[in-house]
Amino acid sequence: MTHASTSVPITTERTALNPQRWALLGVLFGLLSAAAIALYGPIGVSGTYPRFIGSILRRVAPAYAASNPYLVKMGSLITPETMLVVGLLIGGFLAARLGRAPSAPAAEAVHAFETTPGRRYLTAFLGGVLILFGARLAGGCTSGHIISGITQLSVSGILFGAAVFGGGILTARLINPVRGGR
Amino acid sequence: MTLIYALLVGIVMGGLIQRVGASSPRMILASLRLQNLTIIKFMATTIAVGAVLVYLLSLWIPMHFDIKPTYVVGVGVGGLIFGAGFALAGYCPGTCVVGAAEGRRDAMVALLGGVVGALVFTLVYTGIESWLIKPLNFGKITLADLFHLPAMVVAVGLAAVFLTGVSLLPTDRTKPAG
Repeated sequence: MTHASTSVPITTERTALNPQRWALLGVLFGLLSAAAIALYGPIGVSGTYPRFIGSILRRVAPAYAASNPYLVKMGSLITPETMLVVGLLIGGFLAARLGRAPSAPAAEAVHAFETTPGRRYLTAFLGGVLILFGARLAGGCTSGHIISGITQLSVSGILFGAAVFGGGILTARLINPVRGGR
Repeated sequence: MTLIYALLVGIVMGGLIQRVGASSPRMILASLRLQNLTIIKFMATTIAVGAVLVYLLSLWIPMHFDIKPTYVVGVGVGGLIFGAGFALAGYCPGTCVVGAAEGRRDAMVALLGGVVGALVFTLVYTGIESWLIKPLNFGKITLADLFHLPAMVVAVGLAAVFLTGVSLLPTDRTKPAG
């Protein structure tokens, strides 16, 4: 693997996880998502993005914000979901620093053509645009539709999950055909 | 109080996502290339445990269920677009937040892309609502409604299917077994 620019190293080694650690963490996450539904409601994340946009537009362009039906529908940024996203920042920060694990790489190359940090950032940006557009069109993301949705046995969660993994597996094949072993 | 609960749930959720490796794009792509199914198995375990627990608890205490409507076209097309972005970036809307907090700069870029994607959706919503969101809307339906069975029975059935898959499928296909 060649690194054309060395200002931000891009790593390609696989992240290791002890066997069966994921099972314990999965059980804990299941207890957590059930606790959220018992306490206040299902976990979700992606609605925070348009609410964040709405909170800015209500300050800089209040007339437009009041006339956009989607921003009106999504409402105020003061919601449990926003607090959950703040919690993700705190929890992610603490978990990354409280362990003995090496610090996270600045940029992690996942496709063969991501030979420079710039290319990695380009795919991360485009992917970011697509995941939020898709999540808002579908009305939820991995947490709201797949985790919370299927946990509540919702048909929409199962449909979304099937489409995400179908589209994701296909896209991963198309942009980066599997070469033996990796 | 609800806001405090959500903050605490978010903190624990962020920790779990970081520790299982779901905020690593490499782990996400290993799952989508069907090479290492750790993240898929983690999610399936989460759903199996959660589904049985919420419907069990609902027999005794009021639960704050919130089922999303099944509008087939928007949910299906949105899922496909999401899947393409998931494979490109290796992040979803939550894991890029966790990754950004870890100091991953590609996660920060994906987060910025996410804000742009949500902005684009906000701008086009009025134009696409009539043909992507309104048609084929079956409302807030669950598998229990479809099968005309008690939710607890369906939850146990779904958990059994998911956990069977989790135990039968290999975690890392680059290794012989396990």
